[in-house]
Amino acid sequence: MIVCVAVVGHQNNPLYIQSFTEAEDALKLHHIVHCSLDVIDERVNNPSKSGTTMNEAFLGLLYPALNYKVYGYLTNTKVKFIMVTSDLDVRDTDVRSFFRKFHAAYVDAVSNPFHVPGKKITSRTFSESVTNIVSSYSFN
Amino acid sequence: MANYLAQFQTVKTSCDRIVAAVEDVSDLWPTVKGLFEEHQPLKRAFLTNRTRNPVLVENLPVEFILTTDARLRSRSPQEQYLFWFREPYATIVLVTCEDLDEFKNILKPRLKLIVQNDEREWFIVFVSKVHPSNDQATKSVKKVYAKLEVDFSSKKRERCCKLDIHGPNAHFWEDLELKITECIRNTLDRRVLFYEDEIRKLTEQRFMPIWNFCNFFILKESLAFIFEMAHLHEDALREYDELELCYLETVNMLGKQREFGGFDSEDDQATLLKPGSKPLTQIVQDDSFREFDFRQYLFACQSRLLFKLNRPSEVSSRGYSFVISFAKALTLHESVLPFCLREVWVITACLALLDATASHHHDGIVAPNIEKELYRLQGDLYSLARVKFMRLGYLIGYGTDIEKSPLNSACLSMLPWPKPAVWPSLPPDASSEVLEKEKTILQATSRTKHFGIQRKPLPLEPSVLLRVANRRRASLSTGNIPEIFDGRTGFTEGSGLEASPRTPSSRKVQAPPMSRTNSSPGNFESPLDRPMRLAEIFVAAEHALRLTISDHDLLKALSSTQDFEHKYLNLTKGAAENYHRSWWKRHGVVLDGEIAAVCFKHGKYDLAANSYEKVCALYAGERWQDLLAEVLPNLAECQKNLNDHAGYMSSCVRLLSLDKGLFSPKERQAFQIEVVNLAHSEMENPVPLDVSSLITFSGSTGPPLQLCDGDPGTLLVTVWSGFPDDITLDSLSLTLVATNNTDEGGQALKSSAATVLKPGRNTITFDLPPQKPGSYVLGVVTGQIGRLRFRSHSFSKGGPADTDDFMSYEKPTRPILKVSKPRALVDLASAVSSALLINEAQWIGIIVHPINYSLKGAILHIDTGPGLKIEDSYGIEMERYVEIDCDAGASKAEVSVEDSPVSPKQDSEVLNLCDGKIVFSEWASNVSSILWVPVRALSEKLARGSSSVTPLKQDILEGMRTVALKLEFGMHHNQIFERTVAAHFTDPFDVTTRVVNKCNDGTMVLQVMLHSLVKVNLIVLDAWLDLQEGFVHGKSEGRPTSTFFPLVVSPGSRAAVVFSISLEKTMSSGKDLQLPESILNIKYEINGDRAAGAHKPVDADHSGSDSERRALVFKSAIVLQRPVLDPCLTVGFLQLPSDGLRVGKLITIQWRVERLKELKGSEAVEQQHDEVLYEVNANSENWMIAGRKRGHVSLSEEKGSRVVISILCVPLVAGYVRPPQLSLPNVEEENVRSNPPGPHLVCVLPPLLSSSYCVPVK
Repeated sequence: MIVCVAVVGHQNNPLYIQSFTEAEDALKLHHIVHCSLDVIDERVNNPSKSGTTMNEAFLGLLYPALNYKVYGYLTNTKVKFIMVTSDLDVRDTDVRSFFRKFHAAYVDAVSNPFHVPGKKITSRTFSESVTNIVSSYSFN
Repeated sequence: MANYLAQFQTVKTSCDRIVAAVEDVSDLWPTVKGLFEEHQPLKRAFLTNRTRNPVLVENLPVEFILTTDARLRSRSPQEQYLFWFREPYATIVLVTCEDLDEFKNILKPRLKLIVQNDEREWFIVFVSKVHPSNDQATKSVKKVYAKLEVDFSSKKRERCCKLDIHGPNAHFWEDLELKITECIRNTLDRRVLFYEDEIRKLTEQRFMPIWNFCNFFILKESLAFIFEMAHLHEDALREYDELELCYLETVNMLGKQREFGGFDSEDDQATLLKPGSKPLTQIVQDDSFREFDFRQYLFACQSRLLFKLNRPSEVSSRGYSFVISFAKALTLHESVLPFCLREVWVITACLALLDATASHHHDGIVAPNIEKELYRLQGDLYSLARVKFMRLGYLIGYGTDIEKSPLNSACLSMLPWPKPAVWPSLPPDASSEVLEKEKTILQATSRTKHFGIQRKPLPLEPSVLLRVANRRRASLSTGNIPEIFDGRTGFTEGSGLEASPRTPSSRKVQAPPMSRTNSSPGNFESPLDRPMRLAEIFVAAEHALRLTISDHDLLKALSSTQDFEHKYLNLTKGAAENYHRSWWKRHGVVLDGEIAAVCFKHGKYDLAANSYEKVCALYAGERWQDLLAEVLPNLAECQKNLNDHAGYMSSCVRLLSLDKGLFSPKERQAFQIEVVNLAHSEMENPVPLDVSSLITFSGSTGPPLQLCDGDPGTLLVTVWSGFPDDITLDSLSLTLVATNNTDEGGQALKSSAATVLKPGRNTITFDLPPQKPGSYVLGVVTGQIGRLRFRSHSFSKGGPADTDDFMSYEKPTRPILKVSKPRALVDLASAVSSALLINEAQWIGIIVHPINYSLKGAILHIDTGPGLKIEDSYGIEMERYVEIDCDAGASKAEVSVEDSPVSPKQDSEVLNLCDGKIVFSEWASNVSSILWVPVRALSEKLARGSSSVTPLKQDILEGMRTVALKLEFGMHHNQIFERTVAAHFTDPFDVTTRVVNKCNDGTMVLQVMLHSLVKVNLIVLDAWLDLQEGFVHGKSEGRPTSTFFPLVVSPGSRAAVVFSISLEKTMSSGKDLQLPESILNIKYEINGDRAAGAHKPVDADHSGSDSERRALVFKSAIVLQRPVLDPCLTVGFLQLPSDGLRVGKLITIQWRVERLKELKGSEAVEQQHDEVLYEVNANSENWMIAGRKRGHVSLSEEKGSRVVISILCVPLVAGYVRPPQLSLPNVEEENVRSNPPGPHLVCVLPPLLSSSYCVPVK
């Protein structure tokens, strides 16, 4: 189950963060997303170390944590998508396609002429489409 | 083969280096042993690795063992084959012989026998014990050695070397090392090949039922061991890696489920770095090994090799993954393993890895990248241990000591509870412990946050422990559980820990949290009947853990809250420090926050504040407001406790400037109250504070305020307050920054009074003093609340501060104020340029012309110069001035001004002068106007007529009067315009007289020419003459014929009046009544427009009807000269030189003065009779005179005496000019005769052309 998706701006500022848990514990997901920026930073700053080439947006698994997994995706504009899932058996291809859809939704949202780049995404449509995408993916 | 496992193990431990066998043929070993061992280990050995590539191994140790040694002798051939790695790699044959025959006959056959075994790698060391001085023997030895070489060395391979015990041997040792290396290499190759062959064979059979992992393992590990002995660690590691892979495959093979292990005592302590912790024979099971132990064993072997390869970071990284994957394996077997074995194992494994890697790592040896990676892994290991430790702590009731931070919540709430088959039950004698635990649970009050912030604490548990524990109890049927928790929403939502003891259940179910009576010892007798209470769960878990944990340190760390906290801090600090050294700064800072929380709990506020500040800076820098909102109140509280007023206020302001949705209005109000209270409290020093995030400002929309240079103004600034309530500012000021000049800090504008800022938009008015020309943008808003001095740099674009970028100060670029360069704002000019009547009340017109600037309320100071006075009795008239010949555009503008509602259609009024100033009316503020000021130019002087004899001296300045005007205008009368307006006053006429005719009867016709000097028709009504002494009127009684009048004299034209006069025959007796000169009186009227020039005097206008109007009288003095009747002296003008006068040419002008008769008379008595005073008058513009212009010349009293007065002159201008005149001031005019008279005019020629400086033109 995807518990959280987030869009983080190129200054590492949160642009959109949505958790899909029942309990009021969004803050811990904020923390997870925020800390995962460390990993993204590290990968972006040391491209030689990470296996993925810089041409690819998908950053793969960021955290080999015990009970959740964090995946990352970096757009050309240095906007990061971060997804936290509590599923432990996830196929990379699924996550890739998830991020592709998410990216498309994001592009739609920021193409809105009333959206100010670099500002939080407040579009309800975006939120709905994200919810749809998330609900269509349960990795197990 | 598996039976050899035990033996294998002992063999492996007993030998640790490569063995070289020494075949001591000639009993030499005792002699050379010391020398051989001295030269150990082999410095440089080229060996071949697994991929058949040469590898340089340095410092390879070799052990020399005699072939007769028990260790080598006692082995059976099978043993040798099995444990081949311990067999000698080289055989060194030690021989000596000094006699060739002996060699041939005895030694050689023996050697042949020894070396015939092909499997052995051998070479011969010939030892020469002969002293070099002994030539004979040396020769002989040489011969023997040569023979030896011939016999045993081949072209392919040198197998002999010679050691001279008494000679220099440097070469020998190198040779020996080479030879040993060669043997080792060959042996190694052969053995590796053999093992690989065997392994391949076994691998092929892998999926056959007879396949035995133990055999495979022995072979594989033997091979690994061979490599390790040869210091080919890389290859050994690869063997272990392959072994691990193979093992994992077999262990996961279906249908081959084996016992997992982990039940031995001390199994909870990870042995992943101790390969020998458990003998392999203990963990063997059927044809394989127990996973629990064997995987740790493999990892231990790998890490041992990695440490030998000096790669501690790889140990860390492999270790971390190993721990994670092993923990998964433990999870699979959790139900059968001891309670929480997994957690304990992970903790010990992490700590063991940390210790080992830390002790093997030395800073600076590896590349910075790898170092950072290592630190990151260390951090990961620390945090992993920390999480598991917290979990254990929570299980035994230390949950209240764990900060419910996002980090801890993220770690713990997503970590499932341990799932033992049966949850540990309460030991029978634990009632007191339960009581105690219950007490602590009850005492543990969740710390209320500062400012009364109420937040639901973040969960630390994945699900309610109470339910999970009870469900897993064997005795309790699961069916009851839902009943227990029905309707208890608190449980599903969050902390079961806190909810349980306090939420009384109204149900009849024996809900343990119900009352303390349940805790009475009596109820403990049958604890299995009912669900366990939380305290009981804790106690049960604690007891179970004590059974599980064998590590004393860990047991101690969990034994009390203090110890728990100590360990917790250690782990957190370790993680934080390591993360700080790695790339993962965020992790480090967040962990700092956890340390801060502990410091905070213990009142170490300074430490806590330091760390919290870092955390806040991290979150604020990247605008993670939700997280910031969690930490910032803690920081604020620390600062409050530390009396850090500035910091505290700053934190409050930061809290206020966070997203409004993050705090309730009440909380925000609390923040504000804190700020205000603190600001007004007795702080020692004023506290500066940046409130850019909270108070923003912007200029008014629309074009910038335009001001003229020197004008003050008012500036409207919109200030957005982020405070939830009204806030009173003691002062508020604003700086303006000139866009063209950034050097100057800008001027501060102060708001008029104390300002109350409402939440949201406020419009503040600032008084703007005169500014320098240029455009200005808003700079900084500063203000004061009590002792708080705040400043805000934040410019808002007409809206409230955008919380998203509250840290980015965007400089406003739009100018708010433009001050234009100095320019003319108004013009004052005289309306009339032509002359006005002197000595009459005249209107002087002053045009006031505003140039795109309002003259509203302007004050005009009028200060007349000397000779001019304002007729106070008349008001000053002001009227609209429309320039007649102005261009069309300007007139249009005037029209538009007229239309505007601001100026009512009033265009004239009478103003009164008050203290020399008048105030402009509203209507005149934007239009040109003309002021008519009644003035009178005063002149005492009587106008003098002129004649050809006494020409009129035109003095322009005489009629000039000035009016100094000073106009104060602008908003605050700050603009001042000063101008002095000149007005020309004149008499109406210029009078010239001449005698036109002398009649025979002595009557003279005096023509008086009147030249109008004004620009208006003058109507002469009457003229009469008051004659001076010596003249009498003719027939007309001093008046011309009246029929001529009224005579209209047009502007600039001349008219003449003729009088007849005659010389008085008899001198009148009444001398006093006689005038010294004649006066011409002219009565006239003037009809003129004041806009054009001279006009009817002001008082005449006001005198009423036409009949009463006052005619004006002009008086002019006329000098009439009587003929010289009584000449005493004669002045003759002597001839000028005939060549004419030229400009610049010096000439002498001479007068002859001759006494005609002797001087007598009263006036002469007083004077010196023989002197005459003379004076030369000449127009200085025409003549330059050298010599005494005035002086006495002696002239005797006798009649006929004469003197010549000569003076040097230079004519200055060409043309007809009046020559200098000689006058005798002391002598009455009537007594002087001119004979010959001087010319009226002389001709002066222009100067001769001078060619000196001319350049000829070609």
